[in-house]
Amino acid sequence: MKKTFIFLLLFSASLTVMAGTPKGIIKVTPRIAPPLSLMNMDGEQFTLSTNKQRWHFVHFWASWCGPCRREMPTIQRLINDMAKDNIGFVIVNTAESDDTIFGFLGGVAPDIDTLLDKDGLTTELWKPRGLPSTYLVDPQGQIQYVVIGGQDWHKSKYQHFLRQLSKDKN
Amino acid sequence: MHYQFAYQTSRIIILLLISLQVMAAPQRRVVENPNIKMVVIPRTAEQMAAFYEGREFPSKATDATRDACFFTIGIHNKTKNILWLNTANWSITTKTGSIPLLSREHWAQRWKKLNLQQRFQSTFRWTLLPNMLDFQVDEHEGGNITLPRTKLPFTLTAHFATHRDKSGEPINISFKDLRCAEEIQ
Repeated sequence: MKKTFIFLLLFSASLTVMAGTPKGIIKVTPRIAPPLSLMNMDGEQFTLSTNKQRWHFVHFWASWCGPCRREMPTIQRLINDMAKDNIGFVIVNTAESDDTIFGFLGGVAPDIDTLLDKDGLTTELWKPRGLPSTYLVDPQGQIQYVVIGGQDWHKSKYQHFLRQLSKDKN
Repeated sequence: MHYQFAYQTSRIIILLLISLQVMAAPQRRVVENPNIKMVVIPRTAEQMAAFYEGREFPSKATDATRDACFFTIGIHNKTKNILWLNTANWSITTKTGSIPLLSREHWAQRWKKLNLQQRFQSTFRWTLLPNMLDFQVDEHEGGNITLPRTKLPFTLTAHFATHRDKSGEPINISFKDLRCAEEIQ
């Protein structure tokens, strides 16, 4: 009886997540996320770790891409709004100089702390479909969702979806 | 009075220059049907060189881009299934024959010869249209295609397979009488 109850609970929880997948977020066959170890703008090293017991929002961008310009302020707002949620935000600039990045972020999203993929090789490993590109990586380090194109991340449907994920540590 | 005449004349000259610019501006071409929207925008050598120069590319690299004819392509999958892009199935034909697209390998070799820094090579690659992509429902993606500069008009024919197993009705889109965009001298 107890097992049936747990099964039903898990089943309904997964249905809730599936039913609530907002536009642009696509469930993919899980695959191990490629390595990601880069420095941020302050020269601090960040390594995407799989033992943090939380999901990660991994986002690749470049200043020259039009959708990135529109999307970045919404990501900043998402990060602010979800500061207390158990989800990590990993923002990666692809192959641009410090000056370009400072200039761009200063204008559209000054609070964002981006990692610097200076030679673009980490981005290549992740094989995005294009820029911008976002991956949702589970606590075991597997890519579970790919986000196609730029999204309005500040909208409640996206925040609700990510909040649901952040509660799932399995 | 003299001032007013000069003002009117300069206004006419400015309007004339603007209209010349508009006339010479590369034409954006669009094909749209219930299954796909495809946009083709010719880019002038100056536009492309300025774009890459703005990304701090060295002049040896921006000069190299001037040898090629660039078109920015936008594709929107409006089918209810997967739309398969494979530029190997695209053709560019003139009245005298076909022109191959310049491949990513072509550019990689070119950059290697110029000893171009990895970060610029990476940026350049990301500005190109992917060779292959499984467009999801309602997905928009884009990027540049490149070909050797030609003064001849040509037809670009793009072939797309459809459905997850590529068994669906294929989609063929043609853009006739395309030309490499030229600068006003």
